[in-house]
Amino acid sequence: MRKIAVLFAAVLMAGFGASAFAAAGERVKVTGEVIDSWCYITEIMFPEGSAHHQCAVWCAAGGIPVGILGDDGTVYMVLKTGDDATSVANPAVLEIQSHRVKVDGALYKRDGINYLVVDRVLADEGIVKVNHEEWGVQPFGK
Amino acid sequence: MNKPLTAALLFAGLLAAAPAWAAEEWGLPEEEVARFEAKVVDVLCELTGDCPADCGAGKRQLGLVTDAGTLVLPVKNFTAFSGAAAELIDFCGKRVVADGLFTTNRGVRIFALQFVKEAPDGKWRRANRFLPKWAEANGFQPGGPEAKQWFRHDPSVKAVIGRDGVLGLGTEADKDYLEKQ
Repeated sequence: MRKIAVLFAAVLMAGFGASAFAAAGERVKVTGEVIDSWCYITEIMFPEGSAHHQCAVWCAAGGIPVGILGDDGTVYMVLKTGDDATSVANPAVLEIQSHRVKVDGALYKRDGINYLVVDRVLADEGIVKVNHEEWGVQPFGK
Repeated sequence: MNKPLTAALLFAGLLAAAPAWAAEEWGLPEEEVARFEAKVVDVLCELTGDCPADCGAGKRQLGLVTDAGTLVLPVKNFTAFSGAAAELIDFCGKRVVADGLFTTNRGVRIFALQFVKEAPDGKWRRANRFLPKWAEANGFQPGGPEAKQWFRHDPSVKAVIGRDGVLGLGTEADKDYLEKQ
């Protein structure tokens, strides 16, 4: 019976193209800044707050993965927000770029990257890192 | 002209004319030039089992699963301020040869895709399909000035920046800041 169940599951997964790695994520709540993952990870410019807001919007519109920089410094790549599975140039995500947010969702860790499926945005404080006086407007000025 | 000299000149000419289908170094943290074969996957599908047949039609992040089972996240392509999904969506579910740069920093290892071809013998293409796709979607010429500075002409960007300002703090904050400059 168990063999039949395993076979049935395998056929279902093959039919829907699901990966053998697909699984339930770990339930988490994350608080931090919505960031452009490329600029933050590579440090090719100052990548946070009001100084980087415009560039973060550009990069999100261009389809670079949007992340959340957790208060503990952990970077999470956002794959889904609520019922919207769009993670490339998602207009709703552009709206909260550089904001400090609190979200809950499911965390998937794979090969050193934290992927986050956000169920809900619990709080949106707007941009709290007001740092353009110190850093200017990244990367070109206005 | 003697035959060896002619052949040498022809070879040199071919080399000069041939595009260099190999990654440029960008000086990124812990940068590694890399070329590898992998399968193009929808990352959300790979992790959660939520799998539309078309990998999300370019609206989901795409990954590269190597033969060792490692999921590589291509974050960047070869054009300004844009990602790799537009470059890889044509290869959904297929094997490709990916050429570009790994960079590791702040505890995360990501990939910048510079060239891609269907494995094993497809035709190389530079990972810059984002621009013509953006131009077509927005009614501009692919090589025109709007496409070259797509990020200043994108309607969704203009809507957000127009309302919230460059700083994201409102247009008055922009005005106050710029008056001081």
